[in-house]
Amino acid sequence: MAKKKIDFNIIKKEIKKLISEITEIPQNELKEEADFTTDLGVDSMMALEIVAAIEKKYKIVVPEEEIPNIRSLNNIYEILKKKMK
Amino acid sequence: METVWDVDKIKEILPQRPPFLFVDKVTEIDEEKGRAVCVKNVTINDYFFKGHFPDNPVMPGVIMIEALAQASIILFAVLKPDIAAKHPDYLFGKVEAKFHKIVRPGDILLLEVAKKKILSSGGIVDAKALVEKDLAVSAQITFGVKAKGS
Repeated sequence: MAKKKIDFNIIKKEIKKLISEITEIPQNELKEEADFTTDLGVDSMMALEIVAAIEKKYKIVVPEEEIPNIRSLNNIYEILKKKMK
Repeated sequence: METVWDVDKIKEILPQRPPFLFVDKVTEIDEEKGRAVCVKNVTINDYFFKGHFPDNPVMPGVIMIEALAQASIILFAVLKPDIAAKHPDYLFGKVEAKFHKIVRPGDILLLEVAKKKILSSGGIVDAKALVEKDLAVSAQITFGVKAKGS
């Protein structure tokens, strides 16, 4: 059976929507490279919510030591690409 | 109901004190599953009944949330004992709650908390308060944990 191909463009859209809901920042203002803390005002509790939501949605586990490296949407895409291979 | 932690052990972890300590004992701890059950005996002597309400004692919803938050701190301490031993500050981040039943003096409130995600810096917990088998409150609590003075 052919392995199901993961469409990352769809996942990117889903993640943007999810983060927009948690941070209450409109999707069109969420830039891929924007820094969560300095540009978007994400605090540590929002970061916790983001990680928990992503873990639940994609059934992955993000180890605690990796969380400080999640600084932007691009970082999240990279982590998911690695985990969902 | 078995006592896994008595009030002395609870006071080693929780910074709250009477009349604002709302966990009387811990009856279940499952470290592997990340779950704990605590008990709050609701009595007419609880200070809030004096005003909430005169002649009609109803346990305030915010106090039930506080009780669930205190149970959440205990769960955090079970899963991150080294951090809890340093007596950090515990801060509410977000609460989403539904209230299902009125709680009155004489009720035994079971506080069931289960981790959704626990990190060193905080956690998200699914929390339920029950009277016997009836659900009184269901909530999701997000909290932060910060070393004192940071």
